[in-house]
Amino acid sequence: MTRLGQAAAPRAFLQAVQERSGQNLEACLQCGKCSGSCPICTDKVGGPRRLVAAILYGLKEQALQDPTWWYCVSCGTCMTRCPVEINMYRVATALCELAEAAGVKPVESDIHLFEELFLKSVERFSRAREVQVVMNFNVRTWRPFKDLAQGLTLMRKGALSLAEMVPGGPGDQRAGRIFARVRQVSKEK
Amino acid sequence: MKVSYYPGCSLEATGKPYDDSTRQVCRALEVQLEEIPGWICCGSSPALKMNQLLSVALGAFNLAAAEKRPQAEVVAPCPFCFRRLLSAQEEIGQDQKLKARVEQAIEKDLTGQLTVHNLLGFLHDAVGLPAIAAQVKRPLTGLKVLPYYGCYLVKPPRVTHYEDPDNPTALDDILRVLGAEVLDWDFKTECCGAGLSVSKTERVVELSGRLIREAAWRGADAVVVVCQLCQANLDMRQREIGRQDRRRYQLPILYFTQLMGLAFGLHPRTLGLHHHLVDPLALLHQKRLL
Repeated sequence: MTRLGQAAAPRAFLQAVQERSGQNLEACLQCGKCSGSCPICTDKVGGPRRLVAAILYGLKEQALQDPTWWYCVSCGTCMTRCPVEINMYRVATALCELAEAAGVKPVESDIHLFEELFLKSVERFSRAREVQVVMNFNVRTWRPFKDLAQGLTLMRKGALSLAEMVPGGPGDQRAGRIFARVRQVSKEK
Repeated sequence: MKVSYYPGCSLEATGKPYDDSTRQVCRALEVQLEEIPGWICCGSSPALKMNQLLSVALGAFNLAAAEKRPQAEVVAPCPFCFRRLLSAQEEIGQDQKLKARVEQAIEKDLTGQLTVHNLLGFLHDAVGLPAIAAQVKRPLTGLKVLPYYGCYLVKPPRVTHYEDPDNPTALDDILRVLGAEVLDWDFKTECCGAGLSVSKTERVVELSGRLIREAAWRGADAVVVVCQLCQANLDMRQREIGRQDRRRYQLPILYFTQLMGLAFGLHPRTLGLHHHLVDPLALLHQKRLL
Protein backbone atom coordinates (compact mmCIF):
# COMPACT_ATOMS: atom_id res chain seq x y z
CA MET A 1 0.00 0.00 0.00
CA THR A 2 2.26 2.74 -1.25
CA ARG A 3 -0.44 5.33 -0.76
CA LEU A 4 -0.18 5.05 3.03
CA GLY A 5 3.58 5.48 3.16
CA GLN A 6 3.76 8.80 1.44
CA ALA A 7 5.70 11.94 2.09
CA ALA A 8 4.08 14.51 4.34
CA ALA A 9 2.65 16.87 1.69
CA PRO A 10 0.35 14.48 -0.24
CA ARG A 11 -0.70 12.92 3.04
CA ALA A 12 -1.60 16.35 4.38
CA PHE A 13 -4.02 16.84 1.49
CA LEU A 14 -5.74 13.51 2.19
CA GLN A 15 -5.99 14.44 5.84
CA ALA A 16 -7.40 17.88 5.04
CA VAL A 17 -10.13 16.34 2.87
CA GLN A 18 -10.94 13.72 5.49
CA GLU A 19 -11.09 16.24 8.28
CA ARG A 20 -13.30 18.70 6.43
CA SER A 21 -15.65 16.09 5.00
CA GLY A 22 -15.77 13.84 8.04
CA GLN A 23 -15.39 10.88 5.65
CA ASN A 24 -12.89 8.06 6.05
CA LEU A 25 -11.57 7.84 2.51
CA GLU A 26 -8.88 5.38 3.58
CA ALA A 27 -11.64 2.81 3.97
CA CYS A 28 -12.41 3.09 0.23
CA LEU A 29 -12.17 -0.30 -1.49
CA GLN A 30 -12.05 1.21 -4.99
CA CYS A 31 -14.87 -1.16 -5.92
CA GLY A 32 -16.38 1.40 -8.30
CA LYS A 33 -20.03 0.92 -7.31
CA CYS A 34 -20.13 4.71 -6.86
CA SER A 35 -19.07 5.58 -10.38
CA GLY A 36 -21.19 2.77 -11.80
CA SER A 37 -24.32 4.33 -10.32
CA CYS A 38 -23.34 8.00 -10.59
CA PRO A 39 -25.75 9.97 -12.84
CA ILE A 40 -23.14 12.58 -13.85
CA CYS A 41 -20.28 10.21 -14.60
CA THR A 42 -19.31 10.37 -18.32
CA ASP A 43 -16.24 10.03 -20.51
CA LYS A 44 -15.36 13.58 -19.50
CA VAL A 45 -16.46 13.52 -15.87
CA GLY A 46 -14.45 10.82 -14.12
CA GLY A 47 -16.78 10.05 -11.25
CA PRO A 48 -16.29 9.38 -7.55
CA ARG A 49 -13.99 6.33 -7.66
CA ARG A 50 -11.27 8.10 -9.67
CA LEU A 51 -11.66 11.20 -7.57
CA VAL A 52 -11.18 9.27 -4.33
CA ALA A 53 -8.16 7.52 -5.86
CA ALA A 54 -6.60 10.90 -6.69
CA ILE A 55 -7.16 12.10 -3.13
CA LEU A 56 -5.71 8.88 -1.66
CA TYR A 57 -2.60 9.31 -3.79
CA GLY A 58 -2.28 12.92 -2.68
CA LEU A 59 -2.80 14.31 -6.19
CA LYS A 60 -4.02 17.63 -4.91
CA GLU A 61 -4.07 19.56 -8.17
CA GLN A 62 -5.76 16.76 -10.03
CA ALA A 63 -8.41 16.39 -7.33
CA LEU A 64 -9.08 20.13 -7.07
CA GLN A 65 -9.46 20.33 -10.86
CA ASP A 66 -11.66 17.26 -11.18
CA PRO A 67 -15.03 18.27 -12.72
CA THR A 68 -16.75 15.45 -10.79
CA TRP A 69 -17.33 17.43 -7.63
CA TRP A 70 -18.59 20.43 -9.56
CA TYR A 71 -21.09 18.24 -11.39
CA CYS A 72 -22.10 16.40 -8.20
CA VAL A 73 -25.82 17.04 -7.55
CA SER A 74 -25.62 15.37 -4.12
CA CYS A 75 -28.17 12.75 -5.17
CA GLY A 76 -26.60 10.37 -2.64
CA THR A 77 -26.73 7.33 -4.92
CA CYS A 78 -23.01 6.57 -4.48
CA MET A 79 -23.31 6.61 -0.69
CA THR A 80 -26.39 4.42 -0.92
CA ARG A 81 -24.36 1.81 -2.81
CA CYS A 82 -20.99 2.31 -1.07
CA PRO A 83 -20.01 -0.70 1.10
CA VAL A 84 -18.19 1.63 3.52
CA GLU A 85 -20.78 4.43 3.25
CA ILE A 86 -18.60 7.31 2.12
CA ASN A 87 -20.68 10.45 1.71
CA MET A 88 -19.33 11.91 -1.53
CA TYR A 89 -21.26 15.17 -1.49
CA ARG A 90 -19.51 16.01 1.76
CA VAL A 91 -16.22 15.26 0.00
CA ALA A 92 -17.36 17.61 -2.80
CA THR A 93 -17.91 20.40 -0.26
CA ALA A 94 -14.47 19.80 1.25
CA LEU A 95 -12.83 19.98 -2.18
CA CYS A 96 -14.76 23.13 -3.10
CA GLU A 97 -13.59 24.80 0.12
CA LEU A 98 -9.98 23.65 -0.38
CA ALA A 99 -9.98 24.74 -4.03
CA GLU A 100 -11.19 28.18 -3.03
CA ALA A 101 -8.56 28.44 -0.29
CA ALA A 102 -5.83 27.37 -2.75
CA GLY A 103 -7.02 29.87 -5.35
CA VAL A 104 -7.77 27.15 -7.93
CA LYS A 105 -9.92 28.53 -10.74
CA PRO A 106 -13.25 26.64 -11.05
CA VAL A 107 -12.94 24.18 -13.93
CA GLU A 108 -16.69 24.19 -14.49
CA SER A 109 -17.33 27.90 -14.85
CA ASP A 110 -21.04 27.56 -15.71
CA ILE A 111 -21.89 25.44 -12.70
CA HIS A 112 -19.81 27.74 -10.52
CA LEU A 113 -21.50 30.85 -11.92
CA PHE A 114 -24.98 29.47 -11.30
CA GLU A 115 -24.16 28.52 -7.72
CA GLU A 116 -22.57 31.91 -7.04
CA LEU A 117 -25.58 33.78 -8.44
CA PHE A 118 -27.92 31.62 -6.40
CA LEU A 119 -26.04 32.33 -3.18
CA LYS A 120 -25.82 36.05 -3.97
CA SER A 121 -29.60 36.07 -4.23
CA VAL A 122 -29.90 34.33 -0.87
CA GLU A 123 -27.35 36.67 0.71
CA ARG A 124 -29.24 39.72 -0.47
CA PHE A 125 -32.89 38.67 -0.13
CA SER A 126 -32.71 35.79 2.39
CA ARG A 127 -34.61 33.81 -0.23
CA ALA A 128 -33.46 32.36 -3.51
CA ARG A 129 -35.33 34.35 -6.15
CA GLU A 130 -35.20 31.54 -8.67
CA VAL A 131 -36.53 33.27 -11.73
CA GLN A 132 -34.12 36.16 -11.35
CA VAL A 133 -31.19 33.82 -10.77
CA VAL A 134 -32.00 31.94 -13.98
CA MET A 135 -32.44 35.14 -16.00
CA ASN A 136 -29.24 36.57 -14.60
CA PHE A 137 -27.38 33.36 -15.47
CA ASN A 138 -28.71 33.32 -19.03
CA VAL A 139 -27.69 36.93 -19.62
CA ARG A 140 -24.19 36.40 -18.24
CA THR A 141 -23.65 33.31 -20.36
CA TRP A 142 -24.75 35.22 -23.48
CA ARG A 143 -27.93 33.21 -23.96
CA PRO A 144 -30.58 35.68 -22.81
CA PHE A 145 -33.38 33.92 -24.68
CA LYS A 146 -32.67 30.40 -23.44
CA ASP A 147 -35.89 28.77 -22.24
CA LEU A 148 -37.82 31.95 -23.04
CA ALA A 149 -40.63 30.00 -24.72
CA GLN A 150 -41.20 27.92 -21.61
CA GLY A 151 -41.04 31.01 -19.41
CA LEU A 152 -43.61 32.83 -21.51
CA THR A 153 -45.96 29.86 -21.52
CA LEU A 154 -45.73 29.64 -17.74
CA MET A 155 -46.45 33.36 -17.50
CA ARG A 156 -49.44 33.07 -19.80
CA LYS A 157 -50.77 30.29 -17.58
CA GLY A 158 -50.26 32.47 -14.53
CA ALA A 159 -47.65 30.12 -13.08
CA LEU A 160 -44.99 32.86 -13.06
CA SER A 161 -45.73 36.44 -12.23
CA LEU A 162 -44.03 39.45 -13.71
CA ALA A 163 -43.05 40.56 -10.22
CA GLU A 164 -40.71 37.60 -9.91
CA MET A 165 -38.74 38.80 -12.92
CA VAL A 166 -38.22 42.36 -11.82
CA PRO A 167 -34.72 42.63 -10.42
CA GLY A 168 -33.94 44.46 -7.20
CA GLY A 169 -36.60 45.07 -4.60
CA PRO A 170 -36.23 45.33 -0.86
CA GLY A 171 -33.38 43.31 0.60
CA ASP A 172 -33.54 41.19 3.73
CA GLN A 173 -30.47 41.31 5.95
CA ARG A 174 -30.91 38.14 7.98
CA ALA A 175 -29.22 35.67 5.64
CA GLY A 176 -26.60 38.28 4.73
CA ARG A 177 -25.72 38.54 8.39
CA ILE A 178 -25.21 34.77 8.56
CA PHE A 179 -22.99 34.90 5.44
CA ALA A 180 -20.87 37.62 7.07
CA ARG A 181 -20.55 35.76 10.34
CA VAL A 182 -19.69 32.50 8.58
CA ARG A 183 -16.85 34.32 6.80
CA GLN A 184 -15.70 35.67 10.15
CA VAL A 185 -16.00 32.36 12.05
CA SER A 186 -14.18 30.55 9.21
CA LYS A 187 -11.24 32.95 9.54
CA GLU A 188 -11.02 32.37 13.28
CA LYS A 189 -10.68 28.61 12.81
CA MET B 1 -52.95 18.19 14.48
CA LYS B 2 -50.72 21.25 14.26
CA VAL B 3 -47.21 21.24 12.75
CA SER B 4 -44.62 23.81 11.68
CA TYR B 5 -44.41 24.27 7.93
CA TYR B 6 -41.29 25.11 5.96
CA PRO B 7 -42.35 25.79 2.35
CA GLY B 8 -38.91 26.81 1.00
CA CYS B 9 -38.16 29.28 -1.79
CA SER B 10 -39.20 27.18 -4.78
CA LEU B 11 -42.70 26.69 -3.44
CA GLU B 12 -43.19 30.43 -3.58
CA ALA B 13 -42.11 30.57 -7.22
CA THR B 14 -41.88 27.72 -9.73
CA GLY B 15 -43.30 25.21 -7.27
CA LYS B 16 -46.39 27.22 -6.34
CA PRO B 17 -48.84 24.46 -7.32
CA TYR B 18 -47.05 22.18 -4.84
CA ASP B 19 -47.53 24.73 -2.06
CA ASP B 20 -51.16 25.43 -3.01
CA SER B 21 -52.14 21.77 -3.21
CA THR B 22 -50.25 20.92 -0.01
CA ARG B 23 -52.14 23.56 1.95
CA GLN B 24 -55.50 22.50 0.47
CA VAL B 25 -54.95 18.82 1.15
CA CYS B 26 -53.70 19.40 4.70
CA ARG B 27 -56.74 21.53 5.45
CA ALA B 28 -58.99 18.72 4.23
CA LEU B 29 -57.09 16.30 6.48
CA GLU B 30 -57.43 18.68 9.44
CA VAL B 31 -53.69 19.23 9.64
CA GLN B 32 -52.90 22.78 10.62
CA LEU B 33 -49.76 24.00 8.88
CA GLU B 34 -48.15 26.89 10.70
CA GLU B 35 -45.55 28.53 8.47
CA ILE B 36 -42.31 29.07 10.41
CA PRO B 37 -42.24 32.81 11.10
CA GLY B 38 -39.36 34.54 9.34
CA TRP B 39 -37.95 31.48 7.61
CA ILE B 40 -35.07 31.96 5.18
CA CYS B 41 -33.58 29.89 2.33
CA CYS B 42 -31.89 26.64 3.39
CA GLY B 43 -29.03 27.38 0.97
CA SER B 44 -30.05 24.44 -1.21
CA SER B 45 -27.41 22.69 -3.32
CA PRO B 46 -25.19 25.76 -3.91
CA ALA B 47 -24.54 26.32 -0.20
CA LEU B 48 -24.09 22.59 0.32
CA LYS B 49 -21.46 22.55 -2.43
CA MET B 50 -19.62 25.73 -1.51
CA ASN B 51 -19.41 25.87 2.27
CA GLN B 52 -20.34 23.37 4.94
CA LEU B 53 -20.65 25.87 7.77
CA LEU B 54 -22.86 28.18 5.71
CA SER B 55 -25.06 25.29 4.64
CA VAL B 56 -25.56 24.01 8.19
CA ALA B 57 -26.01 27.55 9.54
CA LEU B 58 -28.78 28.44 7.08
CA GLY B 59 -30.63 25.25 7.97
CA ALA B 60 -30.02 25.82 11.67
CA PHE B 61 -31.43 29.36 11.55
CA ASN B 62 -34.75 27.88 10.46
CA LEU B 63 -34.58 25.12 13.04
CA ALA B 64 -34.02 27.74 15.75
CA ALA B 65 -37.07 29.66 14.51
CA ALA B 66 -39.14 26.46 14.55
CA GLU B 67 -37.92 25.56 18.03
CA LYS B 68 -39.60 28.71 19.36
CA ARG B 69 -43.03 27.36 18.39
CA PRO B 70 -45.03 25.10 20.69
CA GLN B 71 -45.19 22.23 18.18
CA ALA B 72 -42.11 19.99 17.90
CA GLU B 73 -42.72 18.77 14.36
CA VAL B 74 -41.64 20.43 11.11
CA VAL B 75 -42.94 19.44 7.69
CA ALA B 76 -41.11 20.35 4.46
CA PRO B 77 -42.58 19.43 1.05
CA CYS B 78 -39.32 20.11 -0.82
CA PRO B 79 -37.07 17.05 -0.47
CA PHE B 80 -33.91 19.14 -0.58
CA CYS B 81 -35.07 21.51 2.16
CA PHE B 82 -36.13 18.42 4.14
CA ARG B 83 -32.72 16.80 3.80
CA ARG B 84 -30.91 20.05 4.64
CA LEU B 85 -32.97 20.71 7.78
CA LEU B 86 -32.61 17.10 8.91
CA SER B 87 -28.85 17.04 8.22
CA ALA B 88 -28.28 20.37 9.95
CA GLN B 89 -29.93 19.11 13.14
CA GLU B 90 -28.10 15.78 13.06
CA GLU B 91 -24.66 17.17 12.21
CA ILE B 92 -24.95 19.73 14.99
CA GLY B 93 -26.09 17.01 17.40
CA GLN B 94 -23.04 14.89 16.63
CA ASP B 95 -20.40 17.62 16.73
CA GLN B 96 -20.20 20.05 19.66
CA LYS B 97 -17.55 22.15 17.94
CA LEU B 98 -19.72 22.57 14.85
CA LYS B 99 -22.68 23.41 17.08
CA ALA B 100 -20.70 26.20 18.78
CA ARG B 101 -19.61 27.67 15.44
CA VAL B 102 -23.13 27.45 13.99
CA GLU B 103 -24.68 29.11 17.04
CA GLN B 104 -22.09 31.84 16.72
CA ALA B 105 -22.97 32.27 13.04
CA ILE B 106 -26.74 32.44 13.54
CA GLU B 107 -26.61 34.20 16.93
CA LYS B 108 -29.15 31.78 18.31
CA ASP B 109 -29.06 28.70 20.54
CA LEU B 110 -30.29 25.31 19.42
CA THR B 111 -31.77 22.42 21.35
CA GLY B 112 -31.91 20.01 18.42
CA GLN B 113 -35.07 18.19 19.48
CA LEU B 114 -37.32 18.73 16.46
CA THR B 115 -38.85 15.99 14.37
CA VAL B 116 -38.23 16.90 10.74
CA HIS B 117 -40.67 15.30 8.30
CA ASN B 118 -40.84 15.33 4.57
CA LEU B 119 -44.41 15.85 3.39
CA LEU B 120 -44.78 12.39 1.84
CA GLY B 121 -43.56 10.58 4.96
CA PHE B 122 -45.68 12.81 7.18
CA LEU B 123 -48.90 12.16 5.25
CA HIS B 124 -48.17 8.44 4.89
CA ASP B 125 -47.07 7.74 8.47
CA ALA B 126 -48.27 10.49 10.81
CA VAL B 127 -51.63 11.24 9.17
CA GLY B 128 -51.98 7.70 7.86
CA LEU B 129 -53.61 5.88 4.97
CA PRO B 130 -56.99 5.35 6.70
CA ALA B 131 -57.40 9.10 7.29
CA ILE B 132 -56.49 9.76 3.64
CA ALA B 133 -58.88 7.05 2.43
CA ALA B 134 -61.68 8.60 4.48
CA GLN B 135 -61.39 11.83 2.46
CA VAL B 136 -61.52 10.20 -0.97
CA LYS B 137 -64.73 11.32 -2.66
CA ARG B 138 -63.81 10.93 -6.31
CA PRO B 139 -61.51 7.93 -6.75
CA LEU B 140 -58.96 8.24 -9.55
CA THR B 141 -60.30 5.17 -11.30
CA GLY B 142 -58.67 4.39 -14.62
CA LEU B 143 -55.73 6.78 -14.17
CA LYS B 144 -52.44 4.98 -14.83
CA VAL B 145 -49.66 6.64 -12.87
CA LEU B 146 -45.97 6.11 -12.31
CA PRO B 147 -44.71 7.08 -8.86
CA TYR B 148 -41.40 8.95 -9.03
CA TYR B 149 -39.55 9.61 -5.76
CA GLY B 150 -36.34 11.16 -7.08
CA CYS B 151 -33.21 11.30 -4.96
CA TYR B 152 -33.28 13.66 -2.02
CA LEU B 153 -36.24 12.19 -0.21
CA VAL B 154 -34.73 8.71 -0.01
CA LYS B 155 -30.99 8.89 -0.63
CA PRO B 156 -28.62 8.40 1.03
CA PRO B 157 -30.56 6.36 3.62
CA ARG B 158 -27.95 7.03 6.32
CA VAL B 159 -28.97 10.68 6.04
CA THR B 160 -32.68 10.48 5.16
CA HIS B 161 -33.45 7.41 7.32
CA TYR B 162 -35.57 6.09 4.47
CA GLU B 163 -36.16 2.41 5.07
CA ASP B 164 -35.95 1.14 1.50
CA PRO B 165 -34.00 3.43 -0.84
CA ASP B 166 -34.10 0.90 -3.69
CA ASN B 167 -37.81 0.40 -3.75
CA PRO B 168 -39.70 3.04 -1.80
CA THR B 169 -43.46 2.45 -1.62
CA ALA B 170 -45.05 5.29 0.41
CA LEU B 171 -46.13 7.17 -2.70
CA ASP B 172 -47.41 3.95 -4.32
CA ASP B 173 -49.51 3.33 -1.19
CA ILE B 174 -51.09 6.78 -1.22
CA LEU B 175 -51.84 6.67 -4.95
CA ARG B 176 -53.50 3.27 -4.54
CA VAL B 177 -55.66 4.60 -1.71
CA LEU B 178 -56.73 7.39 -4.08
CA GLY B 179 -57.96 4.72 -6.48
CA ALA B 180 -55.33 5.21 -9.20
CA GLU B 181 -53.76 2.35 -11.11
CA VAL B 182 -50.13 2.35 -9.97
CA LEU B 183 -47.65 1.09 -12.53
CA ASP B 184 -44.27 -0.33 -11.59
CA TRP B 185 -40.93 0.76 -13.03
CA ASP B 186 -37.23 0.66 -12.32
CA PHE B 187 -36.71 4.43 -12.24
CA LYS B 188 -38.38 5.35 -8.95
CA THR B 189 -35.23 6.92 -7.54
CA GLU B 190 -33.14 7.60 -10.65
CA CYS B 191 -31.78 11.14 -10.91
CA CYS B 192 -33.55 13.70 -13.15
CA GLY B 193 -30.46 15.93 -13.36
CA ALA B 194 -31.56 18.05 -10.41
CA GLY B 195 -29.72 21.34 -9.92
CA LEU B 196 -27.90 21.12 -13.25
CA SER B 197 -31.14 22.22 -14.95
CA VAL B 198 -29.86 25.72 -15.67
CA SER B 199 -26.08 25.36 -15.92
CA LYS B 200 -25.87 21.99 -17.72
CA THR B 201 -29.25 21.69 -19.39
CA GLU B 202 -28.02 19.07 -21.87
CA ARG B 203 -27.27 16.67 -18.98
CA VAL B 204 -30.79 17.20 -17.63
CA VAL B 205 -32.29 16.53 -21.05
CA GLU B 206 -30.33 13.27 -21.11
CA LEU B 207 -31.16 12.16 -17.56
CA SER B 208 -34.79 13.29 -17.59
CA GLY B 209 -35.03 11.82 -21.08
CA ARG B 210 -34.41 8.33 -19.71
CA LEU B 211 -37.33 8.80 -17.35
CA ILE B 212 -39.73 10.27 -19.91
CA ARG B 213 -38.97 7.57 -22.50
CA GLU B 214 -39.46 4.80 -19.95
CA ALA B 215 -42.68 6.36 -18.67
CA ALA B 216 -44.04 6.70 -22.21
CA TRP B 217 -43.08 3.13 -23.01
CA ARG B 218 -44.86 1.88 -19.88
CA GLY B 219 -48.04 3.57 -21.10
CA ALA B 220 -48.42 5.87 -18.12
CA ASP B 221 -51.02 8.65 -18.19
CA ALA B 222 -48.92 10.75 -15.83
CA VAL B 223 -45.79 10.71 -13.68
CA VAL B 224 -46.39 11.63 -10.05
CA VAL B 225 -43.67 13.53 -8.19
CA VAL B 226 -42.87 14.69 -4.67
CA CYS B 227 -40.27 17.30 -5.65
CA GLN B 228 -40.65 20.62 -7.48
CA LEU B 229 -37.24 20.30 -9.10
CA CYS B 230 -38.13 16.88 -10.54
CA GLN B 231 -41.43 18.41 -11.68
CA ALA B 232 -39.70 21.33 -13.40
CA ASN B 233 -37.09 19.19 -15.13
CA LEU B 234 -39.51 16.53 -16.36
CA ASP B 235 -42.17 19.05 -17.37
CA MET B 236 -39.88 21.58 -19.04
CA ARG B 237 -37.60 19.29 -21.02
CA GLN B 238 -40.12 17.08 -22.83
CA ARG B 239 -39.94 19.22 -25.94
CA GLU B 240 -36.16 18.82 -26.24
CA ILE B 241 -36.35 15.13 -25.43
CA GLY B 242 -39.04 14.72 -28.09
CA ARG B 243 -36.95 16.60 -30.62
CA GLN B 244 -34.16 14.04 -30.20
CA ASP B 245 -36.62 11.19 -30.70
CA ARG B 246 -38.61 12.88 -33.47
CA ARG B 247 -41.80 12.52 -31.56
CA ARG B 248 -43.91 14.62 -29.24
CA TYR B 249 -44.13 13.73 -25.57
CA GLN B 250 -47.16 15.04 -23.68
CA LEU B 251 -46.80 13.40 -20.31
CA PRO B 252 -48.30 15.39 -17.43
CA ILE B 253 -46.00 15.62 -14.40
CA LEU B 254 -48.18 16.01 -11.32
CA TYR B 255 -47.57 16.53 -7.63
CA PHE B 256 -49.02 13.79 -5.47
CA THR B 257 -50.81 16.47 -3.48
CA GLN B 258 -52.62 17.61 -6.63
CA LEU B 259 -53.96 14.10 -7.15
CA MET B 260 -54.90 13.86 -3.48
CA GLY B 261 -56.82 17.11 -3.81
CA LEU B 262 -58.55 15.90 -6.95
CA ALA B 263 -59.60 12.65 -5.27
CA PHE B 264 -60.77 14.64 -2.24
CA GLY B 265 -63.11 16.54 -4.57
CA LEU B 266 -61.29 19.88 -4.21
CA HIS B 267 -61.55 22.41 -7.00
CA PRO B 268 -58.80 21.89 -9.63
CA ARG B 269 -58.12 25.64 -9.79
CA THR B 270 -57.07 25.65 -6.15
CA LEU B 271 -54.60 22.83 -6.86
CA GLY B 272 -52.65 24.66 -9.56
CA LEU B 273 -53.40 21.98 -12.18
CA HIS B 274 -53.56 24.65 -14.89
CA HIS B 275 -50.01 25.86 -14.12
CA HIS B 276 -47.96 23.11 -15.75
CA LEU B 277 -46.32 23.23 -19.16
CA VAL B 278 -47.73 19.87 -20.18
CA ASP B 279 -51.40 20.47 -19.53
CA PRO B 280 -53.06 17.67 -17.55
CA LEU B 281 -56.59 19.04 -17.86
CA ALA B 282 -57.47 17.35 -21.17
CA LEU B 283 -56.33 13.99 -19.82
CA LEU B 284 -58.27 14.46 -16.59
CA HIS B 285 -61.40 15.40 -18.55
CA GLN B 286 -61.01 12.39 -20.78
CA LYS B 287 -60.71 10.14 -17.70
CA ARG B 288 -63.81 11.87 -16.27
CA LEU B 289 -61.86 13.03 -13.24
CA LEU B 290 -62.78 16.70 -13.61
